[in-house]
Amino acid sequence: MFRKLLFALLIVTLFLAACGPSVTATPAPAATQPPATEPPAATLPPTAAPIVLTDGLGRTVTLTGPAQRVVSLAPSNTEILFAVGAGAQVVGRDESSDYPAEAAALPTVGGWSGFSAEAIVALQPDLVLAGGINPPELVASLEQLGLTVYLLPNPVTLEEMYTNLQTVGTLTGHEAEATVLAESLKARVAVVGLKIAALTERPTVFYEFDATDPAKPYTYGPGTFGDLLIQRAGGTNIGAQLQGQWVQISLEQLVVVNPDMILLGDSAYGETPEKVTTRPGWEVLAAVKEGKIYPFDDDLVSRPGPRLVDGLEALAKLLHPELFK
Amino acid sequence: MRRLPYLWTFLFLALAILLSIAIGSVFIPPADLWRILTGWLSAAPLPESLKTFAFIIASIRLPRTVLILLTGAALGGSGAAYQGLFRNPLADPYLIGVASGAGLGAAAAMSIQWPYTFWGLLAVPVVGFLAALLTVLLVYSLARVGKTVPTTNLILAGVAFSAFATSLTSFLMLRSTGELRRAFAFLLGGFTQAGWNPVLTILPFLAIGLGFLVLSGHALNLLQFGDDQAQQLGLPVTRTKTLILVAASLATAAAVSFSGIIGFIGLIVPHVMRLWWGVDYRRLLPLSIIGGAGALLLADVLARVVMAPQELPVGIVTALVGAPFFLWVLRRAKNQGYW
Amino acid sequence: MLKVEKLSVSYGQRRVLHDVSLEVNSGEVLALIGPNGAGKSTLVRAASGVIPLLGGTIRTNGDDLAALPPMRRARYLAVVPQAVSLPPAFTAWETVLMGRTPYLNFLGQTSASDEDLVRRALQRVEALELAERRVGELSGGEQQRVLLARALAQSTPILLLDEPTAHLDLQHQVSLMEMVRQLAHRDGLAVLIALHDLNLAARYADRVALLVAGEIKASGTPRQVLTPDLISAAYHLPVQVIQHPFADAPLVLPGAAKPPRS
Repeated sequence: MFRKLLFALLIVTLFLAACGPSVTATPAPAATQPPATEPPAATLPPTAAPIVLTDGLGRTVTLTGPAQRVVSLAPSNTEILFAVGAGAQVVGRDESSDYPAEAAALPTVGGWSGFSAEAIVALQPDLVLAGGINPPELVASLEQLGLTVYLLPNPVTLEEMYTNLQTVGTLTGHEAEATVLAESLKARVAVVGLKIAALTERPTVFYEFDATDPAKPYTYGPGTFGDLLIQRAGGTNIGAQLQGQWVQISLEQLVVVNPDMILLGDSAYGETPEKVTTRPGWEVLAAVKEGKIYPFDDDLVSRPGPRLVDGLEALAKLLHPELFK
Repeated sequence: MRRLPYLWTFLFLALAILLSIAIGSVFIPPADLWRILTGWLSAAPLPESLKTFAFIIASIRLPRTVLILLTGAALGGSGAAYQGLFRNPLADPYLIGVASGAGLGAAAAMSIQWPYTFWGLLAVPVVGFLAALLTVLLVYSLARVGKTVPTTNLILAGVAFSAFATSLTSFLMLRSTGELRRAFAFLLGGFTQAGWNPVLTILPFLAIGLGFLVLSGHALNLLQFGDDQAQQLGLPVTRTKTLILVAASLATAAAVSFSGIIGFIGLIVPHVMRLWWGVDYRRLLPLSIIGGAGALLLADVLARVVMAPQELPVGIVTALVGAPFFLWVLRRAKNQGYW
Repeated sequence: MLKVEKLSVSYGQRRVLHDVSLEVNSGEVLALIGPNGAGKSTLVRAASGVIPLLGGTIRTNGDDLAALPPMRRARYLAVVPQAVSLPPAFTAWETVLMGRTPYLNFLGQTSASDEDLVRRALQRVEALELAERRVGELSGGEQQRVLLARALAQSTPILLLDEPTAHLDLQHQVSLMEMVRQLAHRDGLAVLIALHDLNLAARYADRVALLVAGEIKASGTPRQVLTPDLISAAYHLPVQVIQHPFADAPLVLPGAAKPPRS
């Protein structure tokens, strides 16, 4: 009996803890403002022919014309929609879609603990844009209700992210802007690549995105954009040697590896460089002694959208300040 | 209120059904709801403005209401059966491992990428269902002593296996952090699949399981006197216990496979029915079935509304509301010696 | 009548009853006595089909009871267990009604004649006024009588009682034994009653069987079985047996006789 009560209390506490910061906290600003990804002003007339594409679940999706009423079920999708100029065509979003600022004004249809089919239907969308974080049951349910659903698969490389931009552009009638956006992103990535090509020294980075247990914090392993972007920004991610994508590393391992720099991806949850210096056992790390602990906006490396390039540039600036002004 | 138990319980269910259809994350004004319902009854075409609301009610709320109704019925009925079978007031449908087995099966199924086909989408519920039944079979075989199945052994084996399965499930969940949230949502209980498919899938199992349980009231009454006395009064004890166990587990496993682990309904509803209308299982079982359906519907309405448009997992609502309610029931019961 | 022949029962490896044979005729009371652990309860449970037999037969008028399914066997043989851990919420009436199970369908639907039998059974044990009371509220003696009524409602020719007086106080012991004797002598039942109280056996039984360590050591009239030699050997205690002051029965007194003074 008490076991059940305790379990219930535990669930409630976990639930309350989980839903708090993600909704209300504003992430700490990165060292300098990344350049804004503004789409060009022109809006092109919608194409007349029907649009037929295959989505991330292998489903064939057909639209009679570019979507005019889109509901986005993932924050990355919302960012992409606005970035390719389709912001005015978005009619609903998920709870975590907080960028750009205009998105916040849109009605919400659900979030991590589930979506309301009713709320989605009530918005009368002609396209529901799902993401890799949405379960296939959700797609099936919405499909059964007669809605057109397109699941944008999670990219693993930057090229796949560009493809997603194109796809969204096609779906919403903004192909040209999507192309322009993709080109500009590629150019910025190339610039970073050029500058770091000649580097001989790559600082080692420990990127922390969860330190609920300071003796076993979470970091990005191979296969994540966090890992990829740190590499592309001219750093070495110490998480690259670990197994799995979102992995824990023990304090002992950290001490052995002794990273040059610590990035706090969990600054949105209240972690600060000052707090890190007070963690027991962390004072021996070189990065702590030299004060090389920096807060970082985790959305820039975890949301698979155009802001990944912002993230790349922010990382490059932190890793090689002398090269990137 | 002491008399006419069926009338009151059916009224409760009817009210719950009405609320479940009327309330959701989208606000439908009562006047519109009335016009839609009367429009359906009179087969008149609905005005354009009401089409969206009508669609929501018919295609989203109605199938969901029926699914929840069936799930609550399964939990209430098998909860009453388990309490009678084990003669233990703390017994609930998950006592011998159905929940932990289903959770393990579902977590394992979620770590595989199934193709997006009719069967692929059913993979998680089906695996969960089979795992639940397998667990009961395993626990039953572990508990058997010769030709009898002592109740204590069943409970011990069930608890031990549940602990094992739960820790294995936690391990699986930690390993596949991508599916962690999805598995967690299953364990908290909720209704993720829309449409009539889930209803049609679980209906045969519920019909068989609950149908048999409703007929087993007299047998359960006899079992309250202990295996020896029940046998001496003419009941083939081992065979009857096994059949009741199978029927209850079938119903629970089917319900859990689509709804996840929803607690407290199977524990509390039989107690409340017992408190108000007595221990005769011939009446307690059908009342628990109807009452369970209504209680889960009400809990789900709360789950839909409290944080709209996000949905709270129903298991949280039943735990939050159920625990204090259960304590209250317990206090009333102590004075009445009704167990 | 009940005829038990060469009954053997074991719990796992341990043999508990060895070739036990006894016979109870209609209209007589056979008391089964013996020290704790002798196997009295086991014999009752084995005869009623609750535990499997290793060997031997249980017959009534030629029919082999062990081969019958529980429902059929329950029409021949009813058991009155000790009144402990009864479900407290059933009323006395509902409890006695359970006794009609062997004649009801799976749903337990009863008819007016079933209810009539229940009423008469309760009257017989003088418990009709308790009918609507919850069993949990009744005293030990009252509960025992309700269980007796339940066995009577079962309408069987054979009645087995497993130490029914164990937790009763004096007046309830006596009244229960009076009823049991009447059931045999007046209503013609074959009654086998396991007792721990030797003097109750002496007064109310027609015949007595002494069970020690799973074996029948002696069986016959109370006078024949309740002798100092047999009882002392069985209970490992010196006893004296004298004539009961006002009943036609022996009286067993524990302890050695004191030599007369002078």
